[in-house]
Amino acid sequence: MKFLRAVLGYAIAGMIVMSVWGEFVGVWGIIGGWLAAFAIIGPMWFMNHFLGLIHHDADSGFVDMGLGIGLTGLFRDTFGVGFDAFTAAMPTLALVAVGAILGGFVAAKVEESMEKGGN
Amino acid sequence: MELTLMLATVAGGFLFPFLIRLLWGKLVDNFGTFGGWMAALFIVGTTWAINHGTGMITQGDGGAWIDMGFAAGIGLLTASVVRGGSFAKAVPNVIAAIVGGALGGLILSFFLF
Repeated sequence: MKFLRAVLGYAIAGMIVMSVWGEFVGVWGIIGGWLAAFAIIGPMWFMNHFLGLIHHDADSGFVDMGLGIGLTGLFRDTFGVGFDAFTAAMPTLALVAVGAILGGFVAAKVEESMEKGGN
Repeated sequence: MELTLMLATVAGGFLFPFLIRLLWGKLVDNFGTFGGWMAALFIVGTTWAINHGTGMITQGDGGAWIDMGFAAGIGLLTASVVRGGSFAKAVPNVIAAIVGGALGGLILSFFLF
């Protein structure tokens, strides 16, 4: 049941982001995208990570709903356009992954440093 | 992709999980659940504006959309494991995200194309 709950959480967040967000941008431009974050990520975060539709044990590594959102976009275009779209997206995905690992690692180290109260 | 654009894409991937990890929890501690909505607007919305609004993350030519959500998923998992979280315990949720992403993407492909 926990696995099914998580599948639902990742899929619902992914579907709403990967269909509605672009329409907000189409109508209002960059401000539409900014407001889409409030209208979509707000409730999706509340459902998935505050109420805990996606379950995490206290000592588990954290898998943010963003992973489901990213994968939904990748699969949307792969199913809709074709497998060439998948391969053509891999360089961007690899670069984003490198940046994300660095960002997560540095944030963890910054957090440790701040907790120690040092400089 | 030019080297400069590649570096900007890496930096865009860095930015998002870094800001979420440092700010989101504190906003919720200070403002309760409404802090989560503030985080949605001021972290996700504002970071979206640079990564996708202005195009700091360069998309592949003819490629499927690579959302900064990937950066949140990968970066926050990295940060939580560095701080002692169990990677093995996270694997079922990673698999659930792959299944959910494939399901969600398939359903969207039924009516968006």
